[in-house]
Amino acid sequence: MEVGLANQNAAPASGGGTKLFYIVLGAIALGGLASIAYTLGASGSTATEPVDLSGLDDPRELYELAVAVKTGPDDAPVKVVEFADYQCGGCRTFALGVVPALDEYIERGEVQFVYYDFPLVSIHAHAFLAARAGRCAEEQGRFWDYHKALFRNQATWARKQDAAPDFVDLAAAEGLDVSSFAACLRSDAHADVVSANRALAEQIGIRSTPTVIVNNRRLVAPSARALEDVVQAELDAAAGG
Amino acid sequence: MRRPPVRLRMAVAALSLVGLFVSVYLLLNDLGLTGLAACSPGGGCDIVQSSPYSSFLGVPVALLGVLGYLVLFAVAFLGSQPRGVGADWVGPSIVALATVAFVFSAYLTALEAWVIRAWCPYCVVSAVLATLIFALSLAELPPLRGGSPDESDAHG
Repeated sequence: MEVGLANQNAAPASGGGTKLFYIVLGAIALGGLASIAYTLGASGSTATEPVDLSGLDDPRELYELAVAVKTGPDDAPVKVVEFADYQCGGCRTFALGVVPALDEYIERGEVQFVYYDFPLVSIHAHAFLAARAGRCAEEQGRFWDYHKALFRNQATWARKQDAAPDFVDLAAAEGLDVSSFAACLRSDAHADVVSANRALAEQIGIRSTPTVIVNNRRLVAPSARALEDVVQAELDAAAGG
Repeated sequence: MRRPPVRLRMAVAALSLVGLFVSVYLLLNDLGLTGLAACSPGGGCDIVQSSPYSSFLGVPVALLGVLGYLVLFAVAFLGSQPRGVGADWVGPSIVALATVAFVFSAYLTALEAWVIRAWCPYCVVSAVLATLIFALSLAELPPLRGGSPDESDAHG
């Protein structure tokens, strides 16, 4: 009896049912494709807002301790400031896929790129150590090579229980003086600077990485195109002003 | 002879298609191709996808999701078409695929809850879809002897 009932209910779908099925599939496909196209095209928020630097208890002191790493001339008309975390996937994308778009601006002296560490220690166990490792490489004048190497190998060291040996191996692979690098890494060297970097980021209300500030415009995880548009607009404004 | 639950297969196909897009998004995110890759202390997908558990035997979990949903969609879609509806292999394939997807999703959800301790909303959506598909796939099983009504066929 019940088998018979099931048979009746399970009869092949009527023409109307089949049509509805195709409409639903089409709607899902369209919605899915549109969402993915939007996500790829958006490539980060292009919303901009001014950075409010007022209201710090002692901004000068904090700013002096929160030393950044810079490339490009100090008198460049446009400063691109990044706050980043070596263990963040978005920062990896930004460092390896977006920052190279600034190379020619930096070479022409139009842009100075300023890097601040903002290790999100509550979610990324190795971010603080990675930031210190970058500063240890800077002692040897090799910050930017090591910076890129950290991001290139993020997937490997981020998964380790103890990332320090990986950081030392990377230093060796990049041709750094391994013994002094290891000594630096295994001390508290630069912990104060990295902590001050973090505090500065928090003081100015940065919540996620990579946050990029172009002169006084703030962008979160911008695409290369979005960043170039803002840089060019700032250059035009500087030339016009 | 018992006839196949065509409408339920249609529902499985539709849900699999949703799952396919969710997995494609997660795969793009894993590859760093999406714009929503910014990290913040509250962001779950970044934590989950940068954890050691985001790949299984060296294959990104998101890629497994894409392949799994793609195959499920193809089988359920074929099984709802006049030419494929009578094929013997469709029902058992749907049950097998849906069971694997459900068990694997349960494992991943347990990892999120107790090991990674972070929730990626897209992963949760995928787990819900896998559960729904598994529930629907039970209609492919032969009725128990002396059987209770096949509830999942009630709307079929």
